[in-house]
Amino acid sequence: MNTPAIRAIHLAKEYKIGEAQHNTLRDQITARVKTIFRRSPSPKPEHQKFWALNDVSFEIENGEMVGIIGHNGAGKSTLLKVLSRITEPSKGRAEIHGRVGSLLEVGTGFHFELTGRENIYLYGAILGMGRVEIDRKFDKIVAFSELEQFLDTPVKHYSSGMYVRLAFAVAAHLDPEILLIDEVLSVGDLAFQQKCMQQAQSLRESNATVIVVSHNMFSIKAMCDRVLYLSHGKVLADGPPEQVIPMYEEAMLGGKGALDTPRWAQAKLESDPARRPVIITDMQILDPSGQPRKMFDFGERVKLRVKYEMRQFLRDANFVVALIRADGVGCCNYSSNLDGFKIPPVSGEGEFELLLPPLKLVADLYSVHIIVWDSRFEQLYGAQIGGSFHVRHQLFSNQFGVFHEQGEWSARTVGQADAGANASIKVGIS
Amino acid sequence: MHRVLGPESFEGLTRDLHSERKVFDRLATSAASPSPVPKLHSPGVRATVPMVVIQPSKRFFNLDLRPIWEYRELLYFLVWRDIKVRYKQTIIGAAWAICQPLLTMMIFAVIFGRFAKIPSDGIPYPIFAFAGLLPWTYFSQSISRSGISLVTDSNLIRKIYFPRMIIPAASVIAPVVDFALSFLILLVMMAWYRVVPGRAVVMLPLFVLLAIVAALGVSLWLSALNVRYRDVGHAIPFLVQFWMYASPIVYPLSLIPQRWRALYSLNPMVGVAEGFRWGLLGKQSLGFDSIAIGASVALFLLLSGLVFFKRMERVFADIV
Repeated sequence: MNTPAIRAIHLAKEYKIGEAQHNTLRDQITARVKTIFRRSPSPKPEHQKFWALNDVSFEIENGEMVGIIGHNGAGKSTLLKVLSRITEPSKGRAEIHGRVGSLLEVGTGFHFELTGRENIYLYGAILGMGRVEIDRKFDKIVAFSELEQFLDTPVKHYSSGMYVRLAFAVAAHLDPEILLIDEVLSVGDLAFQQKCMQQAQSLRESNATVIVVSHNMFSIKAMCDRVLYLSHGKVLADGPPEQVIPMYEEAMLGGKGALDTPRWAQAKLESDPARRPVIITDMQILDPSGQPRKMFDFGERVKLRVKYEMRQFLRDANFVVALIRADGVGCCNYSSNLDGFKIPPVSGEGEFELLLPPLKLVADLYSVHIIVWDSRFEQLYGAQIGGSFHVRHQLFSNQFGVFHEQGEWSARTVGQADAGANASIKVGIS
Repeated sequence: MHRVLGPESFEGLTRDLHSERKVFDRLATSAASPSPVPKLHSPGVRATVPMVVIQPSKRFFNLDLRPIWEYRELLYFLVWRDIKVRYKQTIIGAAWAICQPLLTMMIFAVIFGRFAKIPSDGIPYPIFAFAGLLPWTYFSQSISRSGISLVTDSNLIRKIYFPRMIIPAASVIAPVVDFALSFLILLVMMAWYRVVPGRAVVMLPLFVLLAIVAALGVSLWLSALNVRYRDVGHAIPFLVQFWMYASPIVYPLSLIPQRWRALYSLNPMVGVAEGFRWGLLGKQSLGFDSIAIGASVALFLLLSGLVFFKRMERVFADIV
């Protein structure tokens, strides 16, 4: 028989918000006095209730890596707090089999006056390790943090990067059976983040169960084999990352739905799209064979099929397709005018296709904006967000810049060449 | 004009690239050759893994103190932290633990002993006052520190699970070290004044214990209350001051009229201070009644404090 590592049954957590909280005795007393002197026995002041978790049920098998995603306030952190026993649920029940380590914040309980060495012990104990266990792991922790020379310096003199490294080094050696992590991977420099990912990988190999809350879809995709998508305290979707993450990202980007007007263009256009000279009525993101797709590998080609409707013959219509990265960076534009293509002006509906060249953009999420200018980029006729797609690559993230392409290299040397140089490391980039 | 990247940015980039490659190479190899990983938790082993059930607590109170035992290492490290941190970045360091009661005693000796001529049961006033101040300093330190301890460590409460009681408990245990240090001063003073303790000295640990029980009881109440009502934190300095004058620290118990003694002895620190003088300084009489009353009150404070704390504990993380 295989019991799940975590079983949550109708978990719910209610918070009271608003004026109902009397945080000082004086407030409490005045509130009491007011009730006494109130003429009619009026009903108690309405407590604003808010369900941070609302009937959440799921089972997580032993050894699964589960990502929890959702908008701010969706209940992700509350769920982790309930599962790590920091706060009690208001209703429902959860069963946990195994030693739980929870990392809701890196470095909770660090003391600034204590040295690095002392903080390793203190933080280790806070995370639930015993003294003997810390003694045993001490050297490994120090090696992981790469802070050997600063061990006897008070932590208050550390840079924030050093601080996080030390904290994570301790946390990474917790080796629990069930690990609950909240957003902690979004700290440290790139190399350190990768180190943490590697640590997560080794946790997976030791068959630990891991639950990660993150806004970083890249790390969720890289680590998790299952994603829970929370919204307003409920589980909206539960499934493999390829299925669930696009749902979330669509909701993030589109907001009110696809084909919205991007914010920058709102001031320059009629607010009612029906009165604009041209509107985009549909856009599909396809692979070159015409199948709808959301996820593309670096180097693949994307085909866009756009339907539009013109109110008047826009003879100088210059259709521009812009790719905007999730962090708002405009990465590239394809312009029908500059490419010497004429989109037929109609009074009615039309459709065009654009096959993008092989993708050189780094791994991230891109939204596609369809913008219609006049031929000289002066008059804006229309602008709408068409949809979004992912680029996947294990190495090129946005820390590498906007795009990556190969250069042509040559070298000349003076003196004796190293015989082994020809067998130099060849890093394959696909 | 071309924009030129500074050399340092190139350097940074190549370093990042390099270390990333290494990581990915390793990741890639580990993915390519899935080595047979020994399963940590075979079904047979898992059956012994304790199951934790998380659900709203229904009972009015729950006095299960086992989790505190399970987390004793954390208690140890929190005590250790309090001791370590207390005198960091001071010149005289732990000597402060001695200076505070010593200087207070000197002030009292001048004002109450010399000017006000308060009687001291025939014992030299400085040592009379110091024997009272010693447990009192411990008690006041404990409740002032642990009263606000949960709020001071609110980041721990919001982010980590552990039995919350460990935090005020650590703040009650840590000042025992200060107490032990200033106890040495008392021994020096006793030698100076040629005071020899009688056989009653064997009872001294009991009075230390009584002080700890009283301090823990009060601390459980104050710290839990302070989570919801921050007024408590502001009131503690006055409470401590008032409490000292309501205890026989600067004056002897014999100054209190007989008919008020029972009421007065509700204060557990009465028994503690008198017990210290009796055990150490060979003070003749000891009112066992007042000690019994005080000890009962201390026990009541501790038990009620435990219940109250346990009840409040559930919402700490939400309201702290």
